[in-house]
Amino acid sequence: MEPLDVPVAPGAVLREPAHRVSRRALLMWRLQALVVLALLLAGQVVWWLVDDAPSRTPHWVVGAAWLVAGAAYAVAMPQWRYRVHRWEATPRAIYTQSGWLWQERRIAPLGRVQTVDLERGPVAQLLGLASVTITTASAAGPVTIHGLDLPVAHELVDALTAAAVAETGDAT
Amino acid sequence: MTEDAEGWRRLDARMLLVHPLETLIRFLPALLALVVFRAGSEDNDRWELYAVPLIVAFGVLRWVTTRYRIADGQIELRRGLFTKQTTTARLDKVRTIDLTARVYHRVLGLAKVEISTAGGQHDRLVLDSLGVDAGRRLRAELLHRLDPAVTGLPAPTGAPVAVDDVPDDAPPPVDDEVLVRLDPSWIRYAPLTVTGLASAAAIVGFASQGLSRFSQERSVFRDGASFVSRLAWWVDVLLLLGVVSLLAVGAYVLTFWGFRLTRNRLGTLHTRRGLLTNRETSIDAARVRGVRLDEPLGLRLAGASRLKVVTSGLLREQGGSDWLCPPAPAGVVTPLALRIRADETAVSGPLTPHGPAARRRRLTRAVVPALLVAALLVVARLLWDWHGSLLVLVPLLLVGAVALGRDRYRALGHAVTPDHLVTRHGSLDRQRVVLGRDGIIGWKVEQSFFQRRVGVATLVATTAAGAQHYDVVDLPVEMAYAVLAQVSPDLIAEFA
Repeated sequence: MEPLDVPVAPGAVLREPAHRVSRRALLMWRLQALVVLALLLAGQVVWWLVDDAPSRTPHWVVGAAWLVAGAAYAVAMPQWRYRVHRWEATPRAIYTQSGWLWQERRIAPLGRVQTVDLERGPVAQLLGLASVTITTASAAGPVTIHGLDLPVAHELVDALTAAAVAETGDAT
Repeated sequence: MTEDAEGWRRLDARMLLVHPLETLIRFLPALLALVVFRAGSEDNDRWELYAVPLIVAFGVLRWVTTRYRIADGQIELRRGLFTKQTTTARLDKVRTIDLTARVYHRVLGLAKVEISTAGGQHDRLVLDSLGVDAGRRLRAELLHRLDPAVTGLPAPTGAPVAVDDVPDDAPPPVDDEVLVRLDPSWIRYAPLTVTGLASAAAIVGFASQGLSRFSQERSVFRDGASFVSRLAWWVDVLLLLGVVSLLAVGAYVLTFWGFRLTRNRLGTLHTRRGLLTNRETSIDAARVRGVRLDEPLGLRLAGASRLKVVTSGLLREQGGSDWLCPPAPAGVVTPLALRIRADETAVSGPLTPHGPAARRRRLTRAVVPALLVAALLVVARLLWDWHGSLLVLVPLLLVGAVALGRDRYRALGHAVTPDHLVTRHGSLDRQRVVLGRDGIIGWKVEQSFFQRRVGVATLVATTAAGAQHYDVVDLPVEMAYAVLAQVSPDLIAEFA
């Protein structure tokens, strides 16, 4: 038998998942980027105080470098992420798209779902957002959707839990 | 086997001897250091002896407080004096069982039994130790589900348990099919694998550390070193190769001596191996999701390969529980793989190559680092006046990199058969994974920035078995989705 014997039209690609995440996810990612910038700033301040060398030029050079890179990150990353991040849940499967420089799509059949977790970090709580993680029996397979509106996340968790309970067997 | 009214069983009482011995071995370096230290002092107080009753008491306590039983379709393990800890696992979740007998276990007729269940490295029960017979009986009870309450089926007729109750040197009973048995001539492959070389390096490291610690008088080393440095460089290289090969052979013999893979009539795979430490692994047939054919460069050039199993709930892939065949001629390994997964196209058939973009990426990834190193060498020559003969390395590096990239592309390929997804990649460490389609429990399509620019993607099949995910690298995007559609048509029908 030939490999690839099922005829699939060339160029047949999966469509994108149906739903975008909440618009406030943009803000969440931006805040997270700012936290990173704040940590870098703290490091820079410590260096400034500890360093005994008379010349302050290296400080300005390093500071400017990460400030430019960091600002670009804080501006571009959230936009880019928001454009990529999408999800869709059907009674049979969950389908997500995420990332920015590295992008990935994940598909997991609900029959193989083991646990469904809803998580809310401090920033997410502030913005009324939540992320949902769907775990399968494979250590490589957790599917996470970040930046969902809290009510949407609750609804999704309920639907997924119902589907996972309906399924018997050990999902391996 | 002694059981109390509720069916609880204890570890074998002989473990009381093993435990102090193990503790002693664990603290051997410290003890030796103590002896060396004491040799130079007048202090005669042997205070380390006070530890002995403590160690013995601890062992007794462990024996008294550890119990296990099989009841109501579960295996329960109870431990601890102050914090009582009960581990429970359903029998139908038991995946693989390891029996390990180190030298001192073997002297006493004991074996450590490790039972792994579904879902991760932490879900395991360790019984240290049982008598070898008791361990094998327990294994038969667990793996073959002889308890009709669990299976709902009558227990197998005949002498069900006796299948495993054979002494070490007896031939396997008639209904155990011997799939492979170590041929001593395969030992010649030992120096050709990274594993062999790594174990050789480990032995050298360990030995040199031990020697330097205890040799006050190092004239032996000085004499040896000056002797070696007087030899021509190529003699040195040959000497090194010889020593490393010998050590690799030693490691191979220690690990794989007496290797035997059998399959019983219920389909359970058993491996048995080891010269000093005996290791028996039993893998439930229903959990086997595929096989992995390894062809690292050294073995490939010698026309050899090795075989591992892809299964869920294996205790430790690193410890080598997943070996189905040690490095052996390809003429042995391929038919063996076919007997485990009867799918000729998947095991040895041709694979679909991944096309020009994948080829360019392989070459770029091999050549760019080589170019960087070459540039560094040139800079070092110009700025720091490094020796000019180092520049000879530059063309060698580049030629090597191109060869590596081309070979990596040659390895790249995939195939889909009615039962399996096959993926192959790698040059120095080439592997061909034959993964059962029923074992795939999810998909990922990954694309980095550069992969998107050239229109390729890495298709990842996630599974509960083996490495948890198996990747088909750098497929053209349409091909990736075509494979997905072919293997899981129901799943992606909704998203097409």
